[in-house]
Amino acid sequence: MENKSTKYMNPYLAGVLLGIVLLAAFFFAGRGLGASGAVKDTIATCVITVAPTHAENSSFFGKYTKKKESPMKAWLVYEMLGVLLGAIISGAIAGRFKLKIEHSPKISSRTRLIAAVAGGMLFGIGSQLGRGCTSGAALSGMASLSTAGFVSMLSIFGTAYIFAYIFRKLWI
Amino acid sequence: MKEELLVSGRQNLNIDPVLHIWHWQIPLYLFLGGLAAGVLFFAALYTIQGKEKQYPTAVKIAPIIAPFALVFGLLALFLDLKHQLYFWQLYTTVRLDSPMSWGAWTLMAITPLSFIWSAVYIKEIFPNWDWKFSFLNTFEAWCRKNIKIFAWIIIILAIILGVYTGILLSAFNARPLWNTSILGPLFLVSGLSTGAASIMWISKDSAERRVFSKIDLILIGIELFFIVHLLMGFMASSKVQIEAAELFLGGEFTVPFWIFVIGLGLVVPAILESLELMGKHIPINIPAILIIVGGLIFRFIMVEAGQVTRYLY
Amino acid sequence: MGPLITQDIIGGQWNFVIAFIIGIGFGFVLEQAGFSSSRKLAGVFYGYDFVVLRVFFVAAITATVGLLFFSYFDWIDLSLIYVNPIFLKSAIVGGVIMGLGFIIGGFCPGTSVCASAIGKIDAMFFLGGIFIGILLYGESFSLFKDLYYDKVPVDKMVFDALGISQGTFVLILILIALAAFYVTSLIEKKVDKVEY
Repeated sequence: MENKSTKYMNPYLAGVLLGIVLLAAFFFAGRGLGASGAVKDTIATCVITVAPTHAENSSFFGKYTKKKESPMKAWLVYEMLGVLLGAIISGAIAGRFKLKIEHSPKISSRTRLIAAVAGGMLFGIGSQLGRGCTSGAALSGMASLSTAGFVSMLSIFGTAYIFAYIFRKLWI
Repeated sequence: MKEELLVSGRQNLNIDPVLHIWHWQIPLYLFLGGLAAGVLFFAALYTIQGKEKQYPTAVKIAPIIAPFALVFGLLALFLDLKHQLYFWQLYTTVRLDSPMSWGAWTLMAITPLSFIWSAVYIKEIFPNWDWKFSFLNTFEAWCRKNIKIFAWIIIILAIILGVYTGILLSAFNARPLWNTSILGPLFLVSGLSTGAASIMWISKDSAERRVFSKIDLILIGIELFFIVHLLMGFMASSKVQIEAAELFLGGEFTVPFWIFVIGLGLVVPAILESLELMGKHIPINIPAILIIVGGLIFRFIMVEAGQVTRYLY
Repeated sequence: MGPLITQDIIGGQWNFVIAFIIGIGFGFVLEQAGFSSSRKLAGVFYGYDFVVLRVFFVAAITATVGLLFFSYFDWIDLSLIYVNPIFLKSAIVGGVIMGLGFIIGGFCPGTSVCASAIGKIDAMFFLGGIFIGILLYGESFSLFKDLYYDKVPVDKMVFDALGISQGTFVLILILIALAAFYVTSLIEKKVDKVEY
């Protein structure tokens, strides 16, 4: 059962607060929130450091080598660093710090971890093709009333609903 | 005969800002010196107060860090020297107006004392320790008896060491960012706070941890006050000082300074420690590591940024 | 006035400091809302917990309405706001792949960072998966290139694409959201609770 220390915030209140954060991002930086972009920048930095000539010849990483500043300086990287800390502070307040693997009682931890990596890989590929993930494309895209945002949102959640039945054992 | 008039010191070699005169060695040395000063300060303080039983980690266990920190710090300093074989010349002079001289002599005294302190309490860490020679046992007993005298000497030297890590920079009057007397207390407080964080990290006693959490919170508050004061002092000063401060206020050091030093190194650990004091369960290593790493980055930034600032145009 | 950084009202590296602070807010709210638990997130697809839908919708609407009001008061110049470009085919295919990733992995990139921060090991593995995925994508970009740049002519703004005014669209969106909140609360009562 949920005890007091692990209680979550009211979802509507959380939504309003998240909306204000998003609005702040628009007001200050003229752009929404994002997550996958930070990972992309990190990878680009790594690839450029480890294999500079390879990066230059690559049609994907090539565009990063031409910029003067390191991609790590990108907005999203600092934003994600903040996300990490914000979550730590929130977890500290709520007393939710615990190393654990969360999974349905019907599957083993191993299965959960394999599914997590697989899901992560899919999300990695999909976010690049879709020009952003749930935060960057769907949430921020919807807030700025872009067609792309609504298309992304519908196709992400639509697909998930379609396949929910097949993967139900992972969750319930 | 050809006459030459010197109207400024401009022709002097390296008087214009040249980066990378000081590499990683100096900031690392300043950090380790501050850390050692912090750890030894608390050990001595609680010995003088006679609270060894209450704060066993601070008095008996944590000080073992100090000799290592000092030796590695001195090693880093030595690596930085250009004429390494002449280092002993630092000890051929005593100049009261030279912080380098003060520092050299302080280190000369505090390093062996830190070894002795650790040796006296080494049995607390390794219960099976045996000194092999009886005269060492006699010496240990003698030290134990006079531990308060040692503590008094160490606490004074630790404060001088902590201040000196900052004053070393302030003595460079050609670098506006460093040329402020507030660096001394600032570096002392920062060193004490890294020391307190280490003690808190090592300690297994929850009461002791709480005390050091509180101490750390106060130190973080003082440090923030000094930093604000530092920047305000610069902003109210002449053009060169304003430019020095602007390195941190929108300039090239803004991100490392505000995110890594102020954010990650001071404010976030302060929040986490306050939550801990309010009874929330927090893995103690998170604030401790953040404070220690923040202190290290702070010195790197101050040394780097200071070398960019200048008086001459 | 706004956006402040785009117009150089706040300059230099402050940009990244603000990014960091906004990120703290983002991470804090996500974690507080419970997005650091994959089983809570997955609840939206099985009807036992609709927190994702609620937070997501309310946040989008708050920000949209906020932007409209800010623009109305001349606090922000909407033409300077970044609007995601529309590449219909790649957005749909990418969305489908992400949807699959969501139902299999249980997180999205932002929430996986939150969950990693409080010690969820599955989230750390998910994050590792994202790294591998993006790296794979980067290395085989030539395969995706045509799809990625394929452009079907669609209006950039959703209300233009649907042929209605901005205000009407926002109103409809709010009504849809309210209906969704009501319906999902009914569903939640019917579906058996899942302990997690």
